[in-house]
Amino acid sequence: MSEQLLAYVEKESPFHRADALSKLLWVILVVLATFQFQTTLSRAMMFLALLFTALVVARVPWRSFWRVSPLIFGVAVLLGAFHYAVTPRFTPLFSMGSYVIFREPLEAGGAYFFRLAIMVLASFLLIWTTDTYQLMVGLAYLGLPYRYAFAIFMALRYIPLIQREVEAVQAAHAIRGRAVQSPLKHRFRLWQRYLFTVIVNGLRKAENTAIAIESRGFGAYPQRTYWKEFRWTRSGILLVLIFVFFSLALIVWERFLF
Amino acid sequence: MTLPVMLLLNVLIVVLLGVIARFVKLGKQESAEGWNLAFTNRDLILMAVIAAISGVVNTGTGILWSAANAAGGPLAGAALQGAFMWAYILAFFLVRKPGAMVIVGVLDTAVEALLGNPSGIATIGWGVTQGIAAEVVLAICSYSSFSWFSLGLAGAAASQFGTVWTAYLFGWDTTPEVVSQYWLASPINLVSGFVLSGLLGLALGKMIARTGLVRATRSS
Repeated sequence: MSEQLLAYVEKESPFHRADALSKLLWVILVVLATFQFQTTLSRAMMFLALLFTALVVARVPWRSFWRVSPLIFGVAVLLGAFHYAVTPRFTPLFSMGSYVIFREPLEAGGAYFFRLAIMVLASFLLIWTTDTYQLMVGLAYLGLPYRYAFAIFMALRYIPLIQREVEAVQAAHAIRGRAVQSPLKHRFRLWQRYLFTVIVNGLRKAENTAIAIESRGFGAYPQRTYWKEFRWTRSGILLVLIFVFFSLALIVWERFLF
Repeated sequence: MTLPVMLLLNVLIVVLLGVIARFVKLGKQESAEGWNLAFTNRDLILMAVIAAISGVVNTGTGILWSAANAAGGPLAGAALQGAFMWAYILAFFLVRKPGAMVIVGVLDTAVEALLGNPSGIATIGWGVTQGIAAEVVLAICSYSSFSWFSLGLAGAAASQFGTVWTAYLFGWDTTPEVVSQYWLASPINLVSGFVLSGLLGLALGKMIARTGLVRATRSS
């Protein structure tokens, strides 16, 4: 648990150089476009474009990609299989022995598989390549009150602390002989204890943090300064524009030319 | 049945739960701050920390829930549907201001998305829908008082309304069979939300209040 599957990896790539807001806009654009596509082929092409962006443009290591691939594909495969099973069958495509494959379930299964896989891959790409501090500054630049942006940053900052806390509580319970390999009821009680301890410790930290930031005058003024100001970048705008044109091209192709 | 009709019916369910919470006074009534929207720094940090904790805790459950719903449809994940919103109720118990639940919802799901929820950034859609539903129930009660019953109903409403986003994302409006499964699952969603979110969140809040360790617990 201590090693986070998804985390920002500092690298030198055009995708990393793009500003945080452009990348956030890009994710929203990709998701919206995917919901507009009508054919599985368009979604498959968008997925391939994302794969290329991740592995070639953003230089995400294969190892990182491989480790999270169950998250990218696991639920998408299950959702695709579910829609394959429930979609009515009318048009036979081909048969494998006595089993006939129909067009409609294949289309529906593929559509939902790619829809989810695209959404997850785009989100993960944002996480791998974006510093959360930059995202927070970007959101404040967009008009989100800085105290709320700080709350987002604070939540993200607390993740590793809480993960370590969970491990420490588990270890403390294990030392006292409360092993995890026990009946379900006992494990539920253990879970309750972990949760309660982690929450109480977390809230105590929150209280201390609140006192510390208030004693430094946080929130006293409507504006605040940042050590790194937000700026739109050329690579970020280019990324958004490329995907706008690519999405529009796919929509035109599938509706008028396909 | 189309998705807008499903949305409309779910809005009606949420409003109905709010009206029940307003007029049926069960259990000891505790006071809240009414329509006070001014969050202090302490409120914001408390909510951020609660969201971070629930995000970490819910990520594992989220993977299990997503797999069950994706593979088996609305009925498969219904029992777990209510297991995610305990943090919203806990945050409201500690902060007692309008908006606390939706803020924690968005932050919690953002943390989940970052930790590897298999729905990616779309996870935030659940935070928004569930948070809004819980807020609507307590808004109908004017945020003035609450009890185990009203918090349970807020949890139930959050649980049920979150399925609208699932229906949109997972395509549960595509065939009549799946739509009928969706409505069959709704009582399970409601009970699951009432117990696993409403009552669990309140129980955690009361346990924290008893410790006396946290200034946030007030004099409740």
